[in-house]
Amino acid sequence: MERFIVELVVANHCGVLNRITSLYAKRKYNIDSLTVHETRDPTLSVMRIVSCGDSSIQQQMARQLRKLFDVKTVVLLNNSTL
Amino acid sequence: MKKSGAAIVIEALCRNGADTVFGYPGGAVLPIYDELYQNTHRINHVLCAHEQNAAHAADGYARVTGKPGVVIATSGPGATNLVTGIANAYLDSVPLVAITGNVAVPLLGRDSFQEVDITGITQEIVKHNFAVSDVKDLNGILDAAFKIASSGRPGPVLVDIPKSIQTDVCEESQYTLQELFFNDLPELDLTETLSLISSAERPLIYSGGGVVSAGASYELLTLAKRISAPVTFSMMGLTALPADEPLNLGMCGMHGTGSSANVFSKCDLVIALGVRFSDRATGNTAKYKEGKKIIHVDIDCAEINKNTSADVELCGNVKTVLQQLLQKLPRTAHPEWEKECAEAKKLDDLPMSDKLVPVTLLRKVASHCSADTVVATDVGQHQMWTMQYFPFRTPRTLLTSGGLGTMGFGLGAAIGGCIANDRKPTVLFTGDGSFGMSLHELATAVSQKLPLVIVIFNNGVLGMVRQWQTMFYQKHYSHTTLNRKTDFVALAKAFGADGRKITCLSELENALQKLPVDTPLVLDCQLDMDEFVLPMIPPGGSVKDLITQRN
Repeated sequence: MERFIVELVVANHCGVLNRITSLYAKRKYNIDSLTVHETRDPTLSVMRIVSCGDSSIQQQMARQLRKLFDVKTVVLLNNSTL
Repeated sequence: MKKSGAAIVIEALCRNGADTVFGYPGGAVLPIYDELYQNTHRINHVLCAHEQNAAHAADGYARVTGKPGVVIATSGPGATNLVTGIANAYLDSVPLVAITGNVAVPLLGRDSFQEVDITGITQEIVKHNFAVSDVKDLNGILDAAFKIASSGRPGPVLVDIPKSIQTDVCEESQYTLQELFFNDLPELDLTETLSLISSAERPLIYSGGGVVSAGASYELLTLAKRISAPVTFSMMGLTALPADEPLNLGMCGMHGTGSSANVFSKCDLVIALGVRFSDRATGNTAKYKEGKKIIHVDIDCAEINKNTSADVELCGNVKTVLQQLLQKLPRTAHPEWEKECAEAKKLDDLPMSDKLVPVTLLRKVASHCSADTVVATDVGQHQMWTMQYFPFRTPRTLLTSGGLGTMGFGLGAAIGGCIANDRKPTVLFTGDGSFGMSLHELATAVSQKLPLVIVIFNNGVLGMVRQWQTMFYQKHYSHTTLNRKTDFVALAKAFGADGRKITCLSELENALQKLPVDTPLVLDCQLDMDEFVLPMIPPGGSVKDLITQRN
C-alpha cells in the first residue's frame, strides 16, 4: 500500500469539502491528512488529500473525484509522479 | 420584468422540455404549485399518491422518453420520501430532476417544522445537488440541473429551493450564471482494440444500459454481425436487440440464460459496452476473467477497472466509440464459434405447458403485446422470469429497477411510462410482495385513466427470498410467508380499477381478449409458492457453478 496525494482545484463555496470527504467515505478509503486553502482566485480552492492505496485504488479515486461538478482539476501525486 | 422564484421554476421547466411533471404539493412548495395552477396549458402535472412513487413515475417517464423526468415534492417528509426514488435513478443512470421546497431562508438550520437537510441526505445518491440561496441563482441552477442530469452518464440532480426564494423576485438582467466544471473525455486510440478483436477466436459482446441510453442498437448489431460475436446483456441492456435476433443470447449473470453462461465460459474476448460489471452480472470477480481478455467501453471512466480490470479501456459514448470502431474494423468470420453459440442457444428454448406457470403466464401476456408496449416490473422472482421469458423487441420498453432492486418501483414506473408512451396499454408484472409496497398508487392510475394491465404473480410468499431460504438456509422460511387475506380483485374495484382472479390459462386468455382502454386492470394470478427462478449462479460463484435444476 503506497501513500499518495490527490491535489484538487475545486469551487470555493460551502459544502464542497463535504462532497469530497464523503466520496472517500462512500468508497471506503481513509484520509490520512488534508489541507484546504483559498487560491488567489477567490472562487477556487486547492485541496491536498493524503491517503494510502495501490495503483488501482489511486486511479479509481482520481476518476471518481473527476466526476464531481465542483472539481475543476485532479492531479495524482505518487511515487512515480513525484 | 421582475419574476418570482416560482415563476422562474416554471419558465425553466418549459425551456428544458419538461411538459409533464410528477409530484405532490405541500407547505414549502405552495408558490410553485400556485404557478402550476396558472400554467396548466404548458405543464401537465401528474398528482401522485406518494412522493416515492412520483419519483419512480418520473424515472419511468425518463426511461421511455430518454429526457429527464421531473418530480416535485415539499420539504421534510416530502423530500425524504423521494430518497429511494432518487437512489433508484442513480444506480440505473436515469436522468431525473428532483425539485424540493424547503423552509424559508431565515428558518433554515433551526430544526423548523418540516425542515430536513435534503442536499446533505441525498449527496451520495445524486450526480449533483443544489441548495439555492439566492433567487438570482435559480435560473442558472435549474438549467445546469437539466444539463447535468442528461449529459454524459445520465443521473439524478436535486434542487432544493427554500420557500422564501420561491417568492423572492428579481429581474432577468440580474440572473447569475452557474459555473460547473465538465471534464472532457480522453481521445480514443483504437489500435489495441482492433488488434485484440482480430486475434480473438471466440469473441462475446456483453452489452448494457449504456447502449440503450446512447441509442446504439444499430451499431451493436453491426458489430456483432461483423465479427460473428454473440451478444449477452446485463438487465439494464436487455432491450437493445430484439429477442428473436439469432445472435442475442439474452441476459447474463445470476439468473441469466444457460446459453450466456455456457458461451461466457468458453469465450476468449469480452467486448463490454456500457456496462459496469455489477456483482449480479459477474458473480465471483476473481474467477470472472479466467482465460479472457476484456475490452471495456463506458462513458464513465470511473467504471473502467472498478469491478474488474480491463485489458483495453475506451472511455466515451458507446455510440460514438462504436461508430469510430466500425469504420476501421474488418469483417472476421468464426463459423465454428457461431455454430457452437447457436447450439447453446437452442438449449434455452422452453417447452410450453398448459398450466398457469410463470413461463406460460409471461408468454401469454406477451402474445397480446405489440413491439412498442412498455413493460414495467417490480423486484423479485417475477422480475427475473420477465427478463428470461418476455420477448422484448424495442429499446426503452423495459422499466425495471436494476441496481437498487427497489420493491414497489413498478407501479409508479408503469404510470410514468404509460404517460410517456402516449397512454397506450402498458403492462406491469409484479408480485404480491412488491405490489403491497406501492398499491395505493392505483388511485393515480385510475384518476389518470391509464390503461395499465397489472399482472400480479401471487404466490403468497416473498418468492425470491423464499427460494434462497430453500437453497441456502435449510428451508427456514423466516417471515417470507405472507399469509395475507388481501382480495386483490376487491381491492382493485375499491380503487375504481377493474380486477380479475386468474387460476388457469383459459381465464387469462379470456381476461386479455379485451385490453383496457382507460382504466387499470388488475390480474390476480394464482401461482405455486415453490416455483424457482432457474438457472442460477449461486452468490459468489462463477458460470461453472451454474444450477439448472432443482435437486
